[in-house]
Amino acid sequence: MPEFSRMKINRLISVLKENRMNVIKHLMAATCFWATAALADPPPDYPFVNFDTGLKAARASGKPIFLYFGRYGCAWCDHTNRKTFSDASLKTLYSDHYELVYVDAESGRRLTLPSGERITEAELGVRLQAFASPLFVYMTPQGDKIMQAPGFKTVQDFRDFDRYVRGGHYKQKTLPEFLGGKS
Amino acid sequence: MRAALLVLAALSGSAQAAWIWSDALPVNSVQGAKVFPHLESANRQGVAVSDGSVGVVWEDNRNGSPQSYLAIKPAPAKKFRTEIRLSQTECYEPVVVALSAGRFVAAWEEAGRVHAQVVPGGAAIRLTEIESAQVTLAAGAGRLYAAWAEQAGRFRRIVVASLTATAGTLGVSLTQPVEAAAPGDEQGWPALAVAGDGSVTVAWEDRRNRHTVPMASHSSDGRSFASPARLTDRKSGSVDGLGAGTGAMRPTLTAWGKRGVAAVWLDKRDFLSGYDVYAAVDEGERHFGRNLKVQDGFGDNMVQWHAKVVGNTSGRLLAVWDDARDGTPDVWLAEWKGGAFGDNEAIPAASGAGAQTDPVAVLDDLGQLHLVWQERDEKRGTRIRYVRGASR
Repeated sequence: MPEFSRMKINRLISVLKENRMNVIKHLMAATCFWATAALADPPPDYPFVNFDTGLKAARASGKPIFLYFGRYGCAWCDHTNRKTFSDASLKTLYSDHYELVYVDAESGRRLTLPSGERITEAELGVRLQAFASPLFVYMTPQGDKIMQAPGFKTVQDFRDFDRYVRGGHYKQKTLPEFLGGKS
Repeated sequence: MRAALLVLAALSGSAQAAWIWSDALPVNSVQGAKVFPHLESANRQGVAVSDGSVGVVWEDNRNGSPQSYLAIKPAPAKKFRTEIRLSQTECYEPVVVALSAGRFVAAWEEAGRVHAQVVPGGAAIRLTEIESAQVTLAAGAGRLYAAWAEQAGRFRRIVVASLTATAGTLGVSLTQPVEAAAPGDEQGWPALAVAGDGSVTVAWEDRRNRHTVPMASHSSDGRSFASPARLTDRKSGSVDGLGAGTGAMRPTLTAWGKRGVAAVWLDKRDFLSGYDVYAAVDEGERHFGRNLKVQDGFGDNMVQWHAKVVGNTSGRLLAVWDDARDGTPDVWLAEWKGGAFGDNEAIPAASGAGAQTDPVAVLDDLGQLHLVWQERDEKRGTRIRYVRGASR
């Protein structure tokens, strides 16, 4: 490929990315009301457990799995924890009806997939094709993926996802189809 | 835009094919839908070449628990010999480096401790009695080192050991942490390189800044290590009060040229497109220079995984990784062009339909690239494959 063309493409891609990042940064700034730095871990006071424990619990209880794929130090995870998971009714809804699993996107901690394969938590990101954190994954009690949603989500988003998953709508409709006909 | 990119990508094919590749060979003799081989290890050190003999290590569960295996292709042989099992109990993340005369040293984690062994013929030894994991090895300039993550109170820290290999016997002559102080947060996934001047560089994942940062330290003699420095030139810090910094993980190192060391890692500074492959080069000053993006613009909006840097004493340097820019995961290569990495090249045997992932690689003294990867197939089972590349 001529070098000039490649340079032009690279420059165009880089401008697009820069603009996208600026928009997101301004959105972040507009929605933040606090100034203290914090870590991104599971939201406090939620009964999150590791993957293997959660899968075992789900098989026993029959509850679906809500998997929070976060990253240590992740700003958007932090934002979601503060803005969304701080909602008391959401905490009750998800604590009561899901087995809550937290996975660290960069961890070498080992987990066992439903297939029996042993991989690291970081490798789970490869399998989920995770490109951003946080990533929220809903799974059946047997560990089969139902849906996944990347990035910041609101309380209402999580309520919608809950209705889609626990209502069994995923068996007949895609999430956009379901959300398009909210009931 | 997408159509234009595809046309331009096709046109770029004529600029590729800088390598002549051997036929791909199978490495693992046991495959099946429920057998899961893994090439993951600290520094992705899964293949080594000793006087033309190629040694490959991996872990799989064919016997019901994870065990480490080594397969050797002797220099004149056209295929790999049936693998030998290295471990006795549950075992993870094996690595291998070359000694002389077709011999190797392998190391792995077994039952919560790191072990090593000269192969073929040696006996396995524990490298430490302390709980430990994520071991790696490096050899060069007549020296042999191991590094691993070792429990030190609440967290793991990085320990480097000087090893001796006499005939089939392996010994540990000196073991010490890179930093004397107890770790303030988790450290792991060390990478090692022994430069041409005999100095040793160690890099690792470090969470002292409350997010994952690749750090590095040097030692001229393997006894005293410099204060750790960041590999990334991206600063830690919250964004509008949120988080602690972007993520970067799994640093890999290689010796390169007469005195140089190069590092490659996965970096999420562009947090909207997953991890990118970044590199930094130390030309012998024992200081890594500015960060360089390795993948080209065609891979920019894709997430990259399993990056590995390889170099040799004659100055050849390249990085391999996998990404799915062409629709399915393929193994990619970018070669150092003296100031930046060149255009990305898909490796023919490790690209196309299906999933080709998890590359490990080594350059021999002739400049030949020995590449091993996983070819995942849920029905037939995952194959480990090998190919050798030579420059045109």
